[in-house]
Amino acid sequence: MVRFSVKVVGQALVATLDGDLDLHTCPQLKDALTEAFEQNSQAKHLVFDVRHLTFIDSSGLGVILGRYRAAQERGGKLFFVKADPRIQRVLRLSGMHRIAEFVDSTAEALDRV
Amino acid sequence: MKNWIKLEFPGTSVNVGFARAAIAHFAAQLEITLDELEDIKVAVSEAVSNCVVHGYREKSGNVVIEASYEGQRLEIVVEDFGHGIPDIDAAQETGYTTLPEERMGLGLTFMRECMDELYLYSRVDEGTKVVMVKNIPPR
Repeated sequence: MVRFSVKVVGQALVATLDGDLDLHTCPQLKDALTEAFEQNSQAKHLVFDVRHLTFIDSSGLGVILGRYRAAQERGGKLFFVKADPRIQRVLRLSGMHRIAEFVDSTAEALDRV
Repeated sequence: MKNWIKLEFPGTSVNVGFARAAIAHFAAQLEITLDELEDIKVAVSEAVSNCVVHGYREKSGNVVIEASYEGQRLEIVVEDFGHGIPDIDAAQETGYTTLPEERMGLGLTFMRECMDELYLYSRVDEGTKVVMVKNIPPR
């Protein structure tokens, strides 16, 4: 099960994730992010607060990467807030550490855009 | 001492989380670190997701998982009886996927990275079996 919130802060979509993101739970997040992108044309950056994310696999990463491709078309950046070592390992395995920035707070991410 | 379990359940996405949690609980009988448990959860999640997405695409069927350990060698076998893989060599290349819109093609790569050994067997229209081994260092 995953709980999440998505809000728009300036030019960023900030998603806070809590729980397990896998094949079963990722479609809800995908729909929410896609809708938020479509409804907020000024939003171009993606900030994922993953401090309470307990699990992610390639299905969850696929949703994040898909939305990042949309963000890239708007010139946006990708941030992960407070990724713990286990989440960081999966992000590294996927190569996502090469395109994302790792920060300690949402405010730090917003400062960097 | 050898110990084992066998699970069988419908190949639907809601069971992916159950499968990785169940196998992690079984593996926790060994002297295992949290990082090693996380590796096992990722590998099982990827294997069962592949059964659901690729094995049982447009059809339904069961997934069978057999897990066993003897000493510190843990073996996990995940099997579906679905479509099978037409080109097993191509399927093992990083980034290969038949569903590029949704999948990263990293499932088998993640399984290999998280486990010590991986063997893939498949026959078209009969199904796919993945055998994964993790050797837990003695502590």
